[in-house]
Amino acid sequence: MNTIAVVFRKELKDGIRDRRAVMSAFIFPVLAPIMVYGFVMMIVSLRTQAVDTVVPVMGIENAPALVEWLKERDVKVEPFSGDPEEAVRSKAKELVLVIPDNYQERFRNIRTAVVEIVNDGSRNDTQATYRRLEILIQRYSNEIASLRLIARGVSPEVMRVVTTEDIDVASKQQLAVAALNFLPFYIILAAFVSGMGIAVDSTAGERERKTLEPLLINPIQRYDIVFGKWLASSAFSGLGLVLTLVLCVAALLHAPLSDIGLNFHISVEQILLVAFATVPVAFLVTSMQMLLGIFAKSFKDAQSYIGMLTFLPMIPFFIMLINPFATQDWMYAVPMLGQFILMTDVLGMKETPGFAYVYSFASSFVLGAGLALVTARLFQRESII
Amino acid sequence: MIEVSGVAKRFGDVEAVRDVSFTAQNGRVTGLLGPNGAGKSTTLRVLYGLLAPDAGFAAVDGINVQSDRIGAQKIMGVLPDAHGLYVRLTAREHIEYFGRLQGVDEATLAGRTDELLRLLDMQAIADRRVEGFSQGERTKVCLARSLVHNPANVMLDEPTNGLDVMTTRAVRELILELRKQGIAVLFSSHLMHEVARLCDHIVIVSSGTVVASGTTDEIRQAAGEENLEEAFVSLVEKEIMA
Repeated sequence: MNTIAVVFRKELKDGIRDRRAVMSAFIFPVLAPIMVYGFVMMIVSLRTQAVDTVVPVMGIENAPALVEWLKERDVKVEPFSGDPEEAVRSKAKELVLVIPDNYQERFRNIRTAVVEIVNDGSRNDTQATYRRLEILIQRYSNEIASLRLIARGVSPEVMRVVTTEDIDVASKQQLAVAALNFLPFYIILAAFVSGMGIAVDSTAGERERKTLEPLLINPIQRYDIVFGKWLASSAFSGLGLVLTLVLCVAALLHAPLSDIGLNFHISVEQILLVAFATVPVAFLVTSMQMLLGIFAKSFKDAQSYIGMLTFLPMIPFFIMLINPFATQDWMYAVPMLGQFILMTDVLGMKETPGFAYVYSFASSFVLGAGLALVTARLFQRESII
Repeated sequence: MIEVSGVAKRFGDVEAVRDVSFTAQNGRVTGLLGPNGAGKSTTLRVLYGLLAPDAGFAAVDGINVQSDRIGAQKIMGVLPDAHGLYVRLTAREHIEYFGRLQGVDEATLAGRTDELLRLLDMQAIADRRVEGFSQGERTKVCLARSLVHNPANVMLDEPTNGLDVMTTRAVRELILELRKQGIAVLFSSHLMHEVARLCDHIVIVSSGTVVASGTTDEIRQAAGEENLEEAFVSLVEKEIMA
């Protein structure tokens, strides 16, 4: 039987029985979708809160058109009766909109109708509602005025000498997209977390438990031992990575993204392509971890080196966060950066060139295999035992 | 047959082995006796193919270990200095893993595994994970996995180290059983009485060289001492003085 297969099967069996490693390898992928879902729900609820402007109105029946107009703009109108000033002073109400009985009459006669916003200027927490209501009424007033001018054959622009337009760059949608940029980073991180158990156990662990010498006395090529271990670690790492990817996509598809103005869709074909381009990251990551595992004097050493290695995928993430860069073709051929950009493209529903998948796949796999070869060469040295 | 000829090995400034030569014949038990740090384990590691000697060579049944490591390792069964086990595998899985690495085919493997479990009286613990095994049980697993491919040459590095009386006795019986099968058995020890009792041929190593070799009687004569222990001490001291 093929030696690589024998070593692979043994390491896999050993790895699956390592409860702690399995737990950390598979809790990680499950956390991501929960976080994604929670995050989207949080944004949705933030938005809903902001929209909930409740305005008690005294004399609703005096201005049905105005009230209707306000309702259309997500203002919750509730009827109010009693003493508005007392209600505001006692903080029973944030503010009260008072529509006087003569509103309709003045409106019809094209005289300025006066409505009162009874509010407490010393209260900071009600200012937002107050301002919003004031702006809305101002806008209503302008709209009606424009209609009146048009009816008299005058352009409404006569009234508007200068106007401003509010362009808020940090729209909620963009905010959400920025936050979802975190996902590609997380998915790559999954490869590090899931493969670490076997990668360390089968290198530094093998030496620390004194099983390396008996293993090396067997009549087999040391390359076969290293490749068997590498494939087993990569299987774990790749499984964790694909699981994270699939669960994240599933969470995005099920989260109420449309409520925050995002329209996310992804085809099965795209998922498969992304998985294809990203899985080699597992092979790369585990070869790095094994290399460090061989250098390390002990299990503890290995874990701390490998912990530092985990910062590697954070580099493109933070650069992107601090100083967003324009994608260039060669970037797809940089292991991990390529996958990072690719996943960002696909999740952000940007067009991805076909060669990007091939570049990402090939570069990571070739580098991973190269590092595995280096590891195997180091395994030939006498000082390994 | 195991042959070591003029082997020397140094690690940096430390000369671990200066000049060691001996032969272990088939159907005989050869003991490698020496104080701690005499170079026994280094010599054995050269023999297993783990270390390349600076001078000399090691061969098993005429196969040079350095030029054909894999060929030589196929016909040797080794209990090395390191007695590590995979804590999450069972005793049986250890034997099977090493059998497969040795290239034993699946049909033979099952029967051979059962035979070893019986021979070492391990049936009761065969399918338990080795985590929590006693020192004796662990050594038995190590012995079984080193013999799974029916090697014609067996090398045991301090096989009875740290074992209780019962296990020591089992190991001793196993060694005698191997001898009866015509296998060349080489084992190292620093325990005089054990070597005297088991070995047909003794090689005494001190400070990296062979200071005496032969049967118990020959060694006693060479040292001019009545008792083997006295002989050992006087030979070793002579070497250290020189």
